[in-house]
Amino acid sequence: MTKRLYDLAYGRAGDKGNIANISVIARSPEAYREIRAKLTADRVKAHLGNLVKGRVVRYELDNIEALNFVCYESLDGGATRSLRIDPLGKSLAGALLYMEWED
Amino acid sequence: MTYRIGSAQGFYGDDVTKALPMITGGHVDVVCFEALSELTLAILQKDRLANPKRGYTFDLRIIAQQILPEAFRRKIPLITNGGGLNPQAAAEMVRETAAQMGLAGLKVAAVSGDDVLARLAELQAAGEDLTNIETGERLADAGNQNFVTANVYLGAAPIVEALNNGADIVITGRVADPCLYLAPLVARYGWAWDDWDKLAAGIVCGHLLECTGQVVGGNSLALIDRTNAAELPYLGYPIAHVEANGSFIVTKTPDTPGCVTLETVKEQLLYEVHDPASYITPDVVANFTTLRLEQVGDNQVRVSGVTGKPRPDTLKLNAGRLEGFMRELIFTVGWPEAWRKVEQMKAMLNELFHQMPGIERVEYSYLGMNSLYGSLAALPDDPLEIIVRVMFTAGDMDTLRNAVRQIMTTGLSGPAGMSVSGTTVGAEPRYVIGLWPTLMGRNKVQPVIEYFVV
Repeated sequence: MTKRLYDLAYGRAGDKGNIANISVIARSPEAYREIRAKLTADRVKAHLGNLVKGRVVRYELDNIEALNFVCYESLDGGATRSLRIDPLGKSLAGALLYMEWED
Repeated sequence: MTYRIGSAQGFYGDDVTKALPMITGGHVDVVCFEALSELTLAILQKDRLANPKRGYTFDLRIIAQQILPEAFRRKIPLITNGGGLNPQAAAEMVRETAAQMGLAGLKVAAVSGDDVLARLAELQAAGEDLTNIETGERLADAGNQNFVTANVYLGAAPIVEALNNGADIVITGRVADPCLYLAPLVARYGWAWDDWDKLAAGIVCGHLLECTGQVVGGNSLALIDRTNAAELPYLGYPIAHVEANGSFIVTKTPDTPGCVTLETVKEQLLYEVHDPASYITPDVVANFTTLRLEQVGDNQVRVSGVTGKPRPDTLKLNAGRLEGFMRELIFTVGWPEAWRKVEQMKAMLNELFHQMPGIERVEYSYLGMNSLYGSLAALPDDPLEIIVRVMFTAGDMDTLRNAVRQIMTTGLSGPAGMSVSGTTVGAEPRYVIGLWPTLMGRNKVQPVIEYFVV
């Protein structure tokens, strides 16, 4: 089985205008150390491809062992104008957690 | 002794009756109902244009008829921003409903002042350029000025004043979601408006409660292997037990399905958050990176150590403008040569769209293949079936209706075996509302409180 980010973390996506945020919450302290070291904003941006048109900014929450990725221009204009079938981007957390992960 | 806040609404259409077991069971001291998303005000504007006595959320009728009598008997105040675009009309409706039920002495407060749609020109003349914070465009330079809503996010202060004046239910327009929950804490504990750490703790509390089911096991990826799906419609909604120093325990209505764990709290903590060290609200800038979470019992997560920074000088203003309408059609093609048929179908539709000058955007996606994850998805080489979703927009509804009619004329002339979902053919166009998020000086907004007494 391919190892994926989902094996290390769970998360939830939320929307504000045309900006989505995706939390990546580690399943263990070891998993947090690993994603904190390797899951860069650039890597997230590259992985999400055409879903995210703008920049990706990463924030760290050592206190709850989680990262937060803010993805600009990622909701096709936002919930009120998007033509996507998931205009709120609820599924975007899954898109990120689908990332293949190498030990 | 703690102060107990219940949360019984997270969006327009939520099951507000989940307040009842909180109230009748003696589990809460106040209940808050958060009803407004970025889209909700645009929906309510359509109601108000049709009838000037409307423009508030219909859930308020259920709250007035079913919940208010129980809450009033027990002196438990209710707080909601479901007044939407017309808190005064909502308050009048609630007062009439309460009078019919004989709730003598009941006091309804309506908080307004957030609606600045009629003030956009005045604000710009007063030096507010209302630049779009996502695009950097000045409002004056926007080609489309067809604004249908413009509401400032107010803070907790007017709700605190209404509660201190004995309101049994406070109905507001656009108050920032977590500030609905901060307000009763400030009223109860008398926190100073520059006691940033405590205000921030109240904001974190509100943020965790404001999406009801999402902190008790709803929309939880972490708990997916522990979820009893048949119980999901009956999740007990969240309650916070808040201490005077601002620390609090998140729990839920006792003896109901659902759970509150470190996972559910973490998932909700970061929901719709950008910089977690600077969660900006009208009353305080909250820092989520100093707080501590601790599971202290079954369905009890303690939150402490929240810190805050001074509130901003500006308030967020979200304006919505009508940009046109959208229409959806769903086509199906099957094996053999499904991809070739899809390409033929798209070529045929594009030809028709090109003949219609009013058509603006056209988007295709393949349901079950790439409609969620775009370029992440690897498309199969020779699928048995492909479901094609076609979205197209225009400035007016008639253009879209004509487009559908034109497309349907090809019913016997299209690619082999092509079909269309009948319910999508019969559907009506939907509004496209463009949001204009911006900032304005807080000194130019004055909340108004009006009281309606039975």
